[in-house]
Amino acid sequence: MKDKKKGHNTKVSTSGGVLSPSKLLLSHLICGIGLASSFWLAINVYSINLIDNPAETLRLVWLIEVPVVILIYSLFRKDKNQSSYLKAVARGLLGLPIGAIINALGAIALGAPIGTHYFQRTLNWSLLMSAFTFVPAACVYGSSWADWQQTFVHTKLIGIMDYMICLPAHGAVIGAWFGAWPMPLDWERTWQEWPICVTYGAIFGYLVGMLGSICFVGFCVSRQHKKGD
Amino acid sequence: MASLTCTNFTLLTAAAILLQITGLSLFVFGFFPIKPALSGVSGPESFRPSSCDSIEDQNFTALHPDHLKSLYQELSEIPPSYDRLILMVIDGLPAEFVLGRDDQPPSKIYKDAMPYTQSLLANKMALGYHAKAAPPTVTLPRLKAMTTGSIGGFLDVLFNFNTQALLEDNIIGQFFRIGWKMVMLGDETWLKLFPGLFTRHDGVSSFFVKDTVQVDNNVSRHLSYELYKNDWNLLILHYLGLDHVGHLGGRSSTLMGPKLKEMDEVIKLIHSSIIQNHKQTLLVVVSDHGMQENGNHGGSSYEETDSLALFISPKHSHVSVSPTINQVDIAPTLSLLFGVPIPKNNAGYLITDLFLPLQDHELLRAMELNSLQLLKLLEAQTTHFTCKSLYLDAISLHKSWKMKNDLRSASNDEFKNTVFAYNEFLKTASQQLSHTATDKPMGLLAVGVTTMLLSCIIFLFLLFKLIQETYQNLKLQLSEAFIAIIIIILVLSMGSSSLVEEEQYLWHFMTSSFFLILLHKTFKSKSTNKIKTSILISIIIISGRVLRGWHQGGVNWTHLPDISKSLENSSSFYIKLLQILSVFVILVLCFYTLSSLKSCVVISIMGSYFCVGLLVLNYVMKYQGDGDNDNDGILAAQMIYGLIVGLTSVMVVGSPWIVSFYLKDLVLKIKDCLYLSGIAYVFGWCFLQLLLQKPVNSMPISLLLVQILATICCGSDFKQWVEIGAIYYLGMAGHFSLGNTNTLATIDVAGAFIGISTHSTVLSGLIMFVITYASPMLSLLSMVLSISMKDINPKLKNMGQLLKTILGFPCLVPLGLNSVLLVAYTIILLLMRNHLFIWTVFSPKYIYVVVTTVCVLVGVLIVASTVTYIVSVVFLLRHRYYKHSASLLYGRREDDS
Repeated sequence: MKDKKKGHNTKVSTSGGVLSPSKLLLSHLICGIGLASSFWLAINVYSINLIDNPAETLRLVWLIEVPVVILIYSLFRKDKNQSSYLKAVARGLLGLPIGAIINALGAIALGAPIGTHYFQRTLNWSLLMSAFTFVPAACVYGSSWADWQQTFVHTKLIGIMDYMICLPAHGAVIGAWFGAWPMPLDWERTWQEWPICVTYGAIFGYLVGMLGSICFVGFCVSRQHKKGD
Repeated sequence: MASLTCTNFTLLTAAAILLQITGLSLFVFGFFPIKPALSGVSGPESFRPSSCDSIEDQNFTALHPDHLKSLYQELSEIPPSYDRLILMVIDGLPAEFVLGRDDQPPSKIYKDAMPYTQSLLANKMALGYHAKAAPPTVTLPRLKAMTTGSIGGFLDVLFNFNTQALLEDNIIGQFFRIGWKMVMLGDETWLKLFPGLFTRHDGVSSFFVKDTVQVDNNVSRHLSYELYKNDWNLLILHYLGLDHVGHLGGRSSTLMGPKLKEMDEVIKLIHSSIIQNHKQTLLVVVSDHGMQENGNHGGSSYEETDSLALFISPKHSHVSVSPTINQVDIAPTLSLLFGVPIPKNNAGYLITDLFLPLQDHELLRAMELNSLQLLKLLEAQTTHFTCKSLYLDAISLHKSWKMKNDLRSASNDEFKNTVFAYNEFLKTASQQLSHTATDKPMGLLAVGVTTMLLSCIIFLFLLFKLIQETYQNLKLQLSEAFIAIIIIILVLSMGSSSLVEEEQYLWHFMTSSFFLILLHKTFKSKSTNKIKTSILISIIIISGRVLRGWHQGGVNWTHLPDISKSLENSSSFYIKLLQILSVFVILVLCFYTLSSLKSCVVISIMGSYFCVGLLVLNYVMKYQGDGDNDNDGILAAQMIYGLIVGLTSVMVVGSPWIVSFYLKDLVLKIKDCLYLSGIAYVFGWCFLQLLLQKPVNSMPISLLLVQILATICCGSDFKQWVEIGAIYYLGMAGHFSLGNTNTLATIDVAGAFIGISTHSTVLSGLIMFVITYASPMLSLLSMVLSISMKDINPKLKNMGQLLKTILGFPCLVPLGLNSVLLVAYTIILLLMRNHLFIWTVFSPKYIYVVVTTVCVLVGVLIVASTVTYIVSVVFLLRHRYYKHSASLLYGRREDDS
């Protein structure tokens, strides 16, 4: 889960015509806007924030982010010939709880607190993490185990799609991992509690991952164009 | 590239180990100077020169306090100037605020804030001094210095750990022995230092730094009652508010003025009540330390060490000429003023100004008493000292002055000369004594650190060389790099005091991250037993999570719920159940591992372990938890010790002979022998821990065993050094799962007396080490088992090459990892020597680091000697067998011909 991407990957194939860099940019932008607007809503409309009401805020954020992610990524499903758009959406919805369980297990293994007091927080956090990591892949790859393995286990990225899924997902996980660092310090701040700083880390990592995938794809495409000339 | 031979390898490792030990001892003795403190308390003998001790002194403590008081008075020949003492401690007040700096008056803000005190000083009603405090400038050691007059070393903490009570001779104890009634209001540190000595007390906690008002109101609310009450001889007031103001806003905080004003009001209140009272009262206003511009303290800058000593009483008329004293001078001054013996380890000398109202011979007598005490201490601490001649001079001058004084022919000059000579001796002696306590020999420390660094480099070089020789493919995978990443992160985190306090979080987090990465790597691999490996790693991760939740260690979050607390709060039935379960788990694992050895001897070994398990269970059910250790319990524990030690040594020593009967293949034979000895070590250690550990810790022991065995089982999928590193990290994380922390308070002292009938420091120290280092030691002992599971190249016929191949990593990885941590932490300790928490956080942690090093060295020694023994015996037996069969063969040929 935490394998870092090795930066020596080969060329990006844009063949298949599924996705162009501009579409990637646009979809990442929409995901980012979705995230930002959910926070804006939380603060200005519901007047809650992550520090004082972590569970409620996280619930609001994933409730907004999940539909955005599912609707966008379902557009780019790999098996366009076999499955319809609706089927991809359904896959995404199914992937949400599975991804949440995997994320929650990972977090608990690394020391997230267990107990009724933290149940709501862990649940909502893992659903949000699932939206960052698991749901896009579920929408795009579906039941193609080979694709899953290639992206998440071997980190061999071929198409633009792979970058679009892999980099933000890894970014979110690595960001969350680093986000846990301030928790044991004795600064006595409320944001040190589970899962506030971990969420900050995850969101930051996710954004960096999105930015990275845009840059990387843009760089590779421009190089290919040059070669083509 | 030429590969190192086994001999060179061993020699280099041994040299590095020796270097490490040398460097470590040099550093420890340089950093924590052992100051031979005198034990016991000063009694009547302190009023006479050391040559004329009499027997009656021996039981002076049995005297009635009033008798003792009059005895002291008679012996000291100085009438006490005061009846009672009010010691007002203002935490963190720099003397600069009251007395100014460098002969300049204090700045106007401070002057205006304390009008009453300033008027006292101006009217010569008070004597004010800059009392230089020795680092560490934090409250506890400063209070000790003020009451004992000695500058403590850190190692005294070690010698009386687990009790915070001040055991050294001190003035509070001296006052108590002459029957004083004492009242303490303020910082509860006093109550911890002097438990049971105060008639009335109200302790406030210094924990809530943000509170600057209530903390002082809690002291002042009793003040009018106590001043009216009049039945005490010593009233201690310890105001924490000013220190809190400093921590919040620094010296120039807006709260500082009002706080000083409040303190001034308190001084005014006390002083006006003193004047009205018919008793002679001395009010001493002191601060324990100063503060920096930003309010921090702990170091040795002028701002921090500049503490105040202000003596307020109606008797003074003299203006002080030397307004700088040492903080330790307060103790002898107060003892002499109130007619009690000077504490034994005092390094300070009396403040002469305060004795000037006395008559000439009384002043000289006070100086003589102080000189006597310092001389005794000097004689005990240093073998050769230079100031004996100064003492003799002063004594002879004093004698001649006395004779002339009796004849009333003594001149004022002679008196002055005597005073001068005494002062000369006292000053030199005091300086010499304080220097031995505080000076750090930087040269020694530098040599120590360099030597340790050198040994660390040798270890890492050898490790690198071995990796290079063993593996052709040097490309680093993430799981391998993570071993190094963990160490780097740990080293970086050690610089932060809160991460040192909460180190267990780091270990658990890093270890489980590491195993998650291994899990990911397993998914990636194409090996056939992928599923088995992933299940094993999942078991390790789950057990690790349970272990993490077992003890909420550290300092800041100990109050949070954890498994051990909920078990202790529920009925003891569940704990007993878990103990039975863990004995069962360990027995099952033991039988399972043994069953893979196909030999009839195994059955008897299984039977012996079953007996051990039953005996441990019997002990646990019957004797554990009973407060008193009766004879049966001691005997039962001793029997288990004997059985475990006997069984283990028989299995290890006898393994080459047991196994060699039926195996012809050399490598297989060695592997089986190692397997048997590994089992002996691991399970012997586990049963020992079940006996010794606290009842709640029995389950963590079995979980740790499960983790380590699982790692060894799936070790074939990873490189050997990664596996060894993983086992080492599991051991370190497990150390904290057993409830250990980086404070000395969590050491289980009660367990150290299990099965010991007579008091023996060595034995109980050994058992304490066994209990505290249960987990790292288990991980090191399991290396033998891990070695036996590895494939050995059957082409290696040379014993040296074979030893190097199988022993290289299991010895070098723990040594290398530990030496990096040791060197890094030593350097951090050196850099942090002026840190606020040096004595409370960093030094205890260093003790743990040092003992961990000892643990690693012992463990590696056991592993290396066991493996060497087994391999050499097997080679020897084979050699003999060949010789035997060759001679048989030869003989047959001769017969044929």
